[in-house]
Amino acid sequence: MVYKPQYYPGATSVAENRRKHMSGKVEKLRDISDDDLTLILGHRAPGSDYPSTHPPLAEMGEPECSVRQLVEATPGAKAGDRVRYVQFVDSMYNAPATPYFRSYAAAINFRGVDPGTLSGRQVVEARERDMEQLAKFQLETEMTCPALAGLRGATVHGHSLRLPEDGVMFDMLDRTRKEGNVIIMHKDQVGRPIDKKVNLGKPMSAQEAAKRTTIYRADNVAFRNDKEVIEWVHRVFDQRTIYGFKPE
Amino acid sequence: MANDRKKMFAKDMEIKFTKEHGSNKMEGGKITDMVGKYYRLGIEQNPRKVEMKKAGQEIAKKRGLAGYNPMMHCGGIPLGQRALTPSFISGTDMMVEIDDLHYVNNAAMQQMWDDIRRTVVVGMDMAHETLEKRLGIEVTPETINHYLETLNHALPGGAVVQEHMVETHPALVDDCYVKIFTGDDELADEIDKQFLIDINKTFPADQAATIKAAIGKTSWQAAHIPTVVSRVTDGAQTSRWMAMQVGMSFISAYSMCAGEAAVADLSYAAKHAGVLSMGEMLPARRARGPNEPGGISFGHFADIIQTSRVTPEDPANVALEVVGAGCMLYDQIWLGSYMSGGVGFTQYATAAYTNNILDDNLYYNVDYINDKYKDAAKTGKDNKVKATLDVVKDIATESTIYGLENYEKYPTTLEDHFGGSQRATSLSAAAGCATSIATGNGNAGLSAWYLSMYLHKEAHGRLGFFGYDLQDQCGATNVFSYQSDEGLALELRGPNYPNYAMNVGHQGGYAGITSAAHAGRGDAFALNPLIKVCFADKLLPFDFTAPRKEFGRGALREFEPAGERSLIIPAK
Repeated sequence: MVYKPQYYPGATSVAENRRKHMSGKVEKLRDISDDDLTLILGHRAPGSDYPSTHPPLAEMGEPECSVRQLVEATPGAKAGDRVRYVQFVDSMYNAPATPYFRSYAAAINFRGVDPGTLSGRQVVEARERDMEQLAKFQLETEMTCPALAGLRGATVHGHSLRLPEDGVMFDMLDRTRKEGNVIIMHKDQVGRPIDKKVNLGKPMSAQEAAKRTTIYRADNVAFRNDKEVIEWVHRVFDQRTIYGFKPE
Repeated sequence: MANDRKKMFAKDMEIKFTKEHGSNKMEGGKITDMVGKYYRLGIEQNPRKVEMKKAGQEIAKKRGLAGYNPMMHCGGIPLGQRALTPSFISGTDMMVEIDDLHYVNNAAMQQMWDDIRRTVVVGMDMAHETLEKRLGIEVTPETINHYLETLNHALPGGAVVQEHMVETHPALVDDCYVKIFTGDDELADEIDKQFLIDINKTFPADQAATIKAAIGKTSWQAAHIPTVVSRVTDGAQTSRWMAMQVGMSFISAYSMCAGEAAVADLSYAAKHAGVLSMGEMLPARRARGPNEPGGISFGHFADIIQTSRVTPEDPANVALEVVGAGCMLYDQIWLGSYMSGGVGFTQYATAAYTNNILDDNLYYNVDYINDKYKDAAKTGKDNKVKATLDVVKDIATESTIYGLENYEKYPTTLEDHFGGSQRATSLSAAAGCATSIATGNGNAGLSAWYLSMYLHKEAHGRLGFFGYDLQDQCGATNVFSYQSDEGLALELRGPNYPNYAMNVGHQGGYAGITSAAHAGRGDAFALNPLIKVCFADKLLPFDFTAPRKEFGRGALREFEPAGERSLIIPAK
């Protein structure tokens, strides 16, 4: 029998979206150019070489090592890239992604990534070109609504705040704005002004966001109604508790 | 059960988020609105921030060195891009600026910790046995009264026995004193009332009976050294300062020879054999002596807080006061300063004792439990529901989902608890305290805490931050284990328990869960009757029956602390 991953329980659209995010089979909704991505990440100038912390692995004369033979280095590691980050903030008002599912999606579908999960933000550190590959993927697909999510390296406050009237999640540093019918970013991740406005695409409508979201909410898909997920949480809780009581 | 009951946080949210404060323009709208206005008014909208800015400018000018300047924030974008709003202290009508809930800005918070740190309980019986059996000196109520009068002179720093001694000025140490308590009513009757903590008058009758039975014929001193001494030194100093003055007072009161060997016995009893510290010494990696916050077990802390003897009929209130006080001490002072530093920890802690969000969740749970489990949330021992995993799951799940839905239906509550760690603490504390109240079992409450964390994380796809979540992912496994350091009764756990050592936002909750189990049963104390009685004393500057109200008085600058130095510094 061929193993078929079963990523998540639940019979609701939220559970289905969680499975989708983790599978990596998500819909592409927009294009962000490489130069635009570089600009908003703010780690280096568009078109410049990747700064490196060591020579390419091929030039380093690595020692005999069975692990090295088993695990192929990522492109960023091969090239000696430095480690850089991308950090997303997702609104609790039906942003498509949630921090844990961004982390799961990163860890399942990308190699050489180090996801970190908080309540208001989710960071992935990786070799720079590897990180960019993940960032581009998440920005261009249904995992991200440019109005309900943001790239924020610091001062991330906003995920739980009421939405402003234009529907663009509050950002103390005002990195992202709605202009016409699209969302633009005019500062980089840490709030430094950038040379041009980067078009992040159209925001999702409220209905579309509610359809694509991975957060349970009483005004959309209520957590209490996804019985299978609650049953599964209870099972995890039971097993851990009972194991600790009698760890034989 | 219908959850359309009147929300306890509704009034707070309405005043906080639909009324103007300072000049924040937060006027109008509803607490259920999902859309808000952001005026980006900066710090000028808030009176306290303006006061602080002015003070910072004056200090910089006076000392010729830059200081507090809110424009340094985020490259010139100051705080206040969203509305700066005050908060209500839960269980009170006090509305306070949130800056005034940092312990540096709050004299009541400082005094609460001062009063704990400068306190030890010291047995009298070993000393009396030494005097009577070894030296043949008669100990009577009269001699005990004389000794206590001597010690109330000596403990603050008055000299006895020796000539030409330096002494402390009484006006600087007026908060220092010693009182006695005993389970022996006959002895208590003979003690001068000024020296006695009268258990019969201080506790409800049933609690007094339990406590007296636990203490028996033994007698104990509740000693509080001067706040100023404790502040200059540390918690480990408390027993030493006390023991020195106790020893000198025995010599003086019983006309002993200052050099006779029996004095060493008295000293040993006061310093070691008969002394009870509020907190245990911490291991070298945390490097603190006794009576520092990291060593105060949750059971001791539950006993330090005195709400259980003034509202025994309301176990939820008892738990909420312990949660609030515990979050202040363990989060704001212990983790926030001793172990970390800076100002951020205040936000984690205040979420648990402001704006009645946690209170609403817990009182909802009380109603739920009373409906479903035949009044099991009422104070009593025979009405408790058996602590099983099914009960834990039922109460914790209902409690957590109710709380989650409040955040979803009332966006202002979500905005008030704007960090996931704040929400996680509130939800889990509600689940844990409720389960404790229903079962009378603190570890069942702790189990509910962990299930609440799992449910919360799964519902919102987020929980706290890395360090916050870490122990909540693995904590369920050690709840019922009694293997070595893997498991322990919650009463005996404390901030230095494995996995708890650096987890902001948890320990006040754990202390509350501990107290809830005993308050639910109507117990007179959670772990130690001596500590419960020691703090049942109105003479302490901090009122341990109502810590949240005291924090409010501190924030409103109404609280009168001890240990002030105005007597010995130039008048301003």
